[in-house]
Amino acid sequence: MQDHIQLDQKQINDDLLAGVLGMPKWWLPAVLFLTLVVLAGLGSFGYMMNKGLGVTGLNRPVMWGFFIVNFVFWIGISHAGIMISAILRLTQAEWRRPVTRAAEVMTVFSLMAALHTPLFHVGRPWREMWVFPYDFARGVWPNVRSPFVWDPSAVGTYLIASSLFVFIALIPDLAVVRDRAVNPLVKKIYGTMCLGWRGTPRQWKLQAVAGILLSALVLPVFVSVHSIVSWDFAVLIGVEGWHSTIFAPYFIIGAIHSGVSAVAMLMALSVWLWGLDKYLRPDHFDAIARLLIVVATTWFFFFFLEWVFALYTLEGVEISLRELQVFQWPYAMLFLIFLATAFFIPVPMWMFRSVRRSAFWMFFTTVLVNVGMWLERFLIIIPGLMRRQPFTFDWGTYHPSIIEILIVAETFAFVALGMLLFSKFFPLIPLFDIKEGMVLRDEIKIGRRIVPATIRE
Amino acid sequence: MASGHAEHPGNPALVTAEDVTKDLLSKHEGTSNNFWRVASVFGILLILGIIGFVMRLSDGVSDTAVWGYYAAMFAFILTTAQSAPMVAIAPRIAKAHWRRPISRVAELWTVVGLFNLLLFIPMLWILPPLSDGRRSLWFYFDGGDVPSYSPHIWSTLAILGLVVIGVALLWMSALPDFAMVRDHAPDGWKKRWATRLARGWIGSSAQWNMQKHRLGILGAFYFMMLIFVHFLISVDFLITLVPGWVDSLFPITHAANGLQAGVATVMLTIWALYKFGGYKDYIEFDQIWALGKLLFALSLLWFWFWFSSFNIFWYGKKPEEQAIIELLMSGPYRWAFFGVFFFNFIFPMWTMIWNPLRRSTWGPPIIAASVLIGTFLDRIRLYVSAYSVDGIGNPAINKHVVVEIPETIYPSLADIFIMLGALGGMVFIFLMATRLIPIVNIWEQRELKLYEIHKTFHRTVVKVLGKPD
Repeated sequence: MQDHIQLDQKQINDDLLAGVLGMPKWWLPAVLFLTLVVLAGLGSFGYMMNKGLGVTGLNRPVMWGFFIVNFVFWIGISHAGIMISAILRLTQAEWRRPVTRAAEVMTVFSLMAALHTPLFHVGRPWREMWVFPYDFARGVWPNVRSPFVWDPSAVGTYLIASSLFVFIALIPDLAVVRDRAVNPLVKKIYGTMCLGWRGTPRQWKLQAVAGILLSALVLPVFVSVHSIVSWDFAVLIGVEGWHSTIFAPYFIIGAIHSGVSAVAMLMALSVWLWGLDKYLRPDHFDAIARLLIVVATTWFFFFFLEWVFALYTLEGVEISLRELQVFQWPYAMLFLIFLATAFFIPVPMWMFRSVRRSAFWMFFTTVLVNVGMWLERFLIIIPGLMRRQPFTFDWGTYHPSIIEILIVAETFAFVALGMLLFSKFFPLIPLFDIKEGMVLRDEIKIGRRIVPATIRE
Repeated sequence: MASGHAEHPGNPALVTAEDVTKDLLSKHEGTSNNFWRVASVFGILLILGIIGFVMRLSDGVSDTAVWGYYAAMFAFILTTAQSAPMVAIAPRIAKAHWRRPISRVAELWTVVGLFNLLLFIPMLWILPPLSDGRRSLWFYFDGGDVPSYSPHIWSTLAILGLVVIGVALLWMSALPDFAMVRDHAPDGWKKRWATRLARGWIGSSAQWNMQKHRLGILGAFYFMMLIFVHFLISVDFLITLVPGWVDSLFPITHAANGLQAGVATVMLTIWALYKFGGYKDYIEFDQIWALGKLLFALSLLWFWFWFSSFNIFWYGKKPEEQAIIELLMSGPYRWAFFGVFFFNFIFPMWTMIWNPLRRSTWGPPIIAASVLIGTFLDRIRLYVSAYSVDGIGNPAINKHVVVEIPETIYPSLADIFIMLGALGGMVFIFLMATRLIPIVNIWEQRELKLYEIHKTFHRTVVKVLGKPD
């Protein structure tokens, strides 16, 4: 059964601008709490700058720890925006309308969070400028063969493209806020940001074309970003388990798995915190759950192939790494949690219609997926590095320090804070998209039933 | 509720479901002389193929190198005809209306799976057992419990499963159409055939529920089995024959090539139906356009998968990986590799971004033909080179690196006959199947008449499409 609520334009404006023109009671305490966590993380970073990387748990040969795990995780989450927005827009999936904005904004903030951690990880962040060819006058060029130069280029391009994507889709809504704002200064600010939008046919056409073009152009960027992140690992031949051709698509599908799950989490939070249940219906949860079943199963097949080909070689070093991941404490426990949370608990649950249509169960299962996907990156990176050296006296282990834990917590708080601040100034659900959906919605009578329908041009 | 129905913009003779049924049945029942002329040409090619096969068989099966082209043709049919049904399955699961006129075309290709099953039988003799010491999926060790014919056993079961599920899918989808042929066709063999296969279909609610439910399940199983077959064939009949080729992405690349070539196969078929088959009232720009977009996306996917593998091998600079690049890309089959690169990626990519070509009814079929040529070259590049590597079946030769890159093997007369026969056979069998089963899905077209209306919206006439539960 498909359930829709037909709403008029005034009600849509009132509902979706409530968070912008007013302030929910919980908003300020939540912002203050998240600010404190961010400050604690930044304080830890300052301390680490002062004392050096020795305050982290990194030691030889495990020189990549929580920071890089977290970097890969946030890059993964950032794939949600493009997956939901660009692909569903290009395929004209109607259910995308209420979820695109939140997904796109999450992309921007999670990319910023992802950029935090390698910056912290290098130990001397003031030398980050060396990835740019700033000193070409003296013939000093970055080493373009290094994966560490590919990363900033790809992530930077993606951040610019995603920000443009958010802005283009925001313009008509900014004009609505401009027209409804009472304070002249606020009116002026939104008036400037909406670039003189009046809603003429030409402006609508340009906005639609820009959205479609950006969708098409940003897709290759979206694919390249996580491919490049995966190649940070896969081009190496020194670490068994990393030099695998499947890494680029495997990382992408894993990113889509965690990113789309994060969007489902946001949908549930939007229903609970902003009361947007008239816009995010059980149908929307059902649609995203069906998408997740496909994505999770594909991801699991890639995971299976990665393992099959690791064992296919029958080489001792490869098998000992897999033994470490699966049979040795504490990785064995983490491996079981990873498999259960990323696949074996959520996917069977999504087979039930009642779970797919429930905000609570979708929130619960998608939180599990993201716990699992964070652990997946941890299990790729840490055990891979632990046995890197052939000499047993160089075999090390890794325990994250409190500094690393605080900095990781900071990235989560940063994304949440960014989303909350955004929601205070801009609507989290695109008004114009919802209104368009309401206009294009229709019904057809077939026999004794009335079936929802959509007008196609 | 929709009101103010506007005039139907299509053929005024096909407004009601009954009009559609009569029109499609009359098309199905009539067969032109041109059809038989075309079928005869492909039938002759099939006979040539049988002659080529007998010539090849006279050389025996111990030298795998001479069977490379045969293996390539088996893989080509797996990649095209047996992958084509996905064009019906995926949009049906997604409830996309545009698939309705072309879903049967895609499903009919499953019949060619029976032909490929026959082609597969000699492959079992060509592939040596695992006792030659090569790496395999089956963790075979000397003196272990794993049978050395594991690849033969599991691949046979998988391909058999794919063919059976495919035929079941086609039958399940055609059930209501058989009933329509039974009820409308004049007395004769077609009526008897349809009566037997309709299995007493009367179109009750319970029968419709059963049919839709089983279509969904069979479609999902066909997809999973197709991926599994691509996985087994690409590993057991290809990767394991080349020492040092460890490419965890390749089974997916093989399957993705299948989706790309499957879409191209359906696109070319519907173009032929549109142009020569008299189905212009059903196959419209919508179908060609939707498949064109899909083909464009799959061409980009081809490049991404190829580059993901190539980049790791090229960057790693391991000797065994350099040998793979030389064998498959830069060495004796570089002519085929560059052909694949052009026809599967460069040409589709640079033509599909050009509006006049993309938004035409003739542009996308040209691109589809390009993809099929590229796929044909790709199967030759992969299978002929792999089957010519020295040491297959010989335990004494290194199984961890290709020591000596083999020379190019060009097709002999027998190989040319085999290639023509395989292509002729797949088209001939498809053409024969269209005489038994309506090539446009009648019940899905009738259903569309329920879900589609045209109405006036402001100053224009728009199409309103209902969304099934």
